[in-house]
Amino acid sequence: MADDTPAGFRPSRRGLLAGAGALAVGCPFAAAAASARVADAPAADRAAEAQRVPPFGPHQAGIVTPRPANGLVASFDVLAESPEALERLLRRLTERIAFLTRGGATETLDPRLPPADSGILGPEISPDALTITVSLGASLFADRDWLAPLAPRQLRAMDAFPNDALDARQCHGDIAVQICANGQDTVLHALRDIIKQMPDQMILRWMQAGSVPVVAPAADGTTASARNLMGFRDGSANPDSAEGALMDRVVWAGAPEPAWARGGSYQVVRLIRMYVERWDRTPLREQERDFGRTKITGAPLDRPGGTEADVPDYAADPEGRVTPLGSHIRRANPRTADTARNLILRRPFNYANGVTRNGQLDQGLLFICWQADLQAGFVAVQNRLNGEPMEEYFQPVGGGYFFALPGIRDADDFLGSQLVRQLRQPTPDKA
Amino acid sequence: MTRSTLPLTAALALAALAHAPAAQARDASLDLVGPITDYKIWVADELDQLVADTGAFTRAVKAGDLETARALYAPTRVHYEMVEPVAELFADLDGAIDAREDDFEAGPTDPGFTGFHRIEYGLWHEGSTDGLAPIADKLLADVTDLDQRIAGLTFPPETVVGGAATLMEEVAATKVSGEEDRYSHTDLWDFRGNVDGAQKIVALTRPLIEADEPAFLAKVDENFGTIDTILAKYREGEGFVSYDKLSNHDRVVVQAAVNTLAEDLSTLRGKLGVD
Repeated sequence: MADDTPAGFRPSRRGLLAGAGALAVGCPFAAAAASARVADAPAADRAAEAQRVPPFGPHQAGIVTPRPANGLVASFDVLAESPEALERLLRRLTERIAFLTRGGATETLDPRLPPADSGILGPEISPDALTITVSLGASLFADRDWLAPLAPRQLRAMDAFPNDALDARQCHGDIAVQICANGQDTVLHALRDIIKQMPDQMILRWMQAGSVPVVAPAADGTTASARNLMGFRDGSANPDSAEGALMDRVVWAGAPEPAWARGGSYQVVRLIRMYVERWDRTPLREQERDFGRTKITGAPLDRPGGTEADVPDYAADPEGRVTPLGSHIRRANPRTADTARNLILRRPFNYANGVTRNGQLDQGLLFICWQADLQAGFVAVQNRLNGEPMEEYFQPVGGGYFFALPGIRDADDFLGSQLVRQLRQPTPDKA
Repeated sequence: MTRSTLPLTAALALAALAHAPAAQARDASLDLVGPITDYKIWVADELDQLVADTGAFTRAVKAGDLETARALYAPTRVHYEMVEPVAELFADLDGAIDAREDDFEAGPTDPGFTGFHRIEYGLWHEGSTDGLAPIADKLLADVTDLDQRIAGLTFPPETVVGGAATLMEEVAATKVSGEEDRYSHTDLWDFRGNVDGAQKIVALTRPLIEADEPAFLAKVDENFGTIDTILAKYREGEGFVSYDKLSNHDRVVVQAAVNTLAEDLSTLRGKLGVD
């Protein structure tokens, strides 16, 4: 509105892009030179902005749905001191999730009042593949007599493993809200909306935001795993989230859990600080032997000319001469019949927070994984990893164990409705 | 859900009827003259008290009476906390009186670090009144100067009405962690002062919105009540126990009440039509 450029002088964004495309045929640099201005925002990808991930279904979105480029986990303390208050909180969260993931116009108020929306996405919110996933922490149950009997079977405060240096200010919480979207602004907008809309129900405890590098698909249509900040592809051996039966076994909580919890999932969040300067000063061969894959392609060490999709043959290498027994991927997943039940679905983000007091980069991994069985999943895997050579280069400093509520069935349902229903029963089913 | 912005003429018409709809700003009117006058009198009383108490406090500091100085620190500065929205209008004095070591690149030893918190640093962190005399003299001179400047000030309506939210923002941003009085842990006094200051502003403007905003006022009262109840649990003698005694649960409850009041009171200017 305050644009004082004479009308007709400044091309519209659409015209500009079309023009750029036409000019690019003849001279790839001419268009940029003619049109680029410092004040112009980076060009948006309208198709990406319009992507909508439905928040409804048997499971929450943001678990087996594709991982977009940005994500965060925010942990909150909860005020609810009665089943009614908890229901109000869950209904309110559901309303915000339904609105934010659908997108649309923000509310306009009298300008003498504070605006209803932070405005960082403008007056019209694009869905931008936004997902908001809500998980409950052990303290939510343990601190409330009326809720404690309904706790998921294995939910507890996050264990402190031998290599952990946990900072209490970055651990645990009553509720974890995972927010993912294509754009960082969309993620931050959703977080600010929830904080502004629910000040009387939840208090922010800690938050970690991260991102995943975008990777161009190869000619054959496959997309390689994104790299973490150690420069390795991360997620090569992840179970295929498109295989429903596999996800039913690996990710979604079933019969052992209380009835209300089925269709949910255990979420493990770990803030893993990486000592990246030191890592970058480590010989490549040692990096690869510590990790267990080649750095460039992610191929297993016994298939160095292959791809990350190739499966290492540990049976042919029982003494670990090629893939060391202590290497990260071999400890994490020894690929024996016995360890098949330890599969987890990883969905992490890289983070970069600035500089430590020692003048080193504060970078690492916002590790997030999902499993039907916490003990057989993350805990078993981490217990095998304890003492791995790579521990020299990273240290977990925070995080928590949470349990993702089952999905919001449809627009008439709300998050945790089954839990609330069971709370209302005179004799709670302790399952 | 979208509410269109009322044209000014329509807003004036509605204000004339004294029935502006909820969440809709009403017209500023002469109604605020009374509350602002009353507020100024209240502030003047608090500042008189601040000057008198700072006199006693700084005398104890200069006399090397560590115990008395420590005892007078929190009850003296609470008067400043109560009137902070107005006191902050004079940024030079606010910095000199109430800055914290974080405000200085060199931290607590920065020569520019003066005022209550510099003396607090000496009394508790260093456990001594040594070297504090010049800072005590300056503090007394600064609060006296503040008293005189505010006496001659025309109170801006937006500062008075917006002050209720400002005080809650103050608590939310600087008090909850215990960083305000990090050496003495007397944060609950400051807390009480900020909340009293906000409650005063709500009380003075209440008659103007009572008819139109009963739900808003009920919610504000409920949250003030939550804070009152919890702070009362931590009373000790004339004051409060150390901030580190506040349980995690109570901190969360107070924090939620403060954040909710900050949200709700941020609409008070609009509700009173003060731009």
